[in-house]
Amino acid sequence: MSPALVGIVLVSHSAELAQGAVHLAEQVSGGTVTIIAAGGTDDGDLGTSAAKVSRGLSLADSGAGVVVLPDMGSAVLTVRAVLDDYGDATGVLLVDAPFVEGAVAATVTAAAGGDVKAVAAAAEEARHVRKL
Amino acid sequence: MSASYEQEITLEGDLHARPAGALAVAAGRFASAVSVTAGSHTVDAKSVLGVMGLGATSGQHLTVSAAGPDAREAVAALITILGEATKVGG
Repeated sequence: MSPALVGIVLVSHSAELAQGAVHLAEQVSGGTVTIIAAGGTDDGDLGTSAAKVSRGLSLADSGAGVVVLPDMGSAVLTVRAVLDDYGDATGVLLVDAPFVEGAVAATVTAAAGGDVKAVAAAAEEARHVRKL
Repeated sequence: MSASYEQEITLEGDLHARPAGALAVAAGRFASAVSVTAGSHTVDAKSVLGVMGLGATSGQHLTVSAAGPDAREAVAALITILGEATKVGG
């Protein structure tokens, strides 16, 4: 049996954006990593939802830790508020990274068996990779 | 035993996002440092964004290099992935 992989939670103001980034990251990484979309408010508007983030953390955590990527602004505040109430959040890392590139890089590193720090570092390094 | 190996391959198709991901996932499982070179551009094979950034296309020659305890196995595995994942229609 293979060891547990780090899980990923993608927190976006847009449900569609979060879901699309999940789909892309799954396709590129081969589909072995648990990636959860936590996008939009509880009633489907643009915004973020503490309930969705909290549920995402539970679903993504298989024992190896979770890396959380927020898209911008108040997504960070929502995640921090959830983590304050999360109990043992030592295995959960909130990372400052480009949303799409960070999601893909983090998921690929998780698929290769990287630990939670390596997965977070892969997401953060995405900031320095030039496209052109 | 630490060692260095490298091997060349000519791509049969473009190195799109999914094969780049497969390559980086496989590379990440090895302890060795692994890189891919296309022309004058060398990237860390464990970085999917770096591999995608090569923009490698069909017919291009790539070199896979590895240095470390499992370098030989890493090069062999990545050459296999590059051969299979970039086949036209694959």
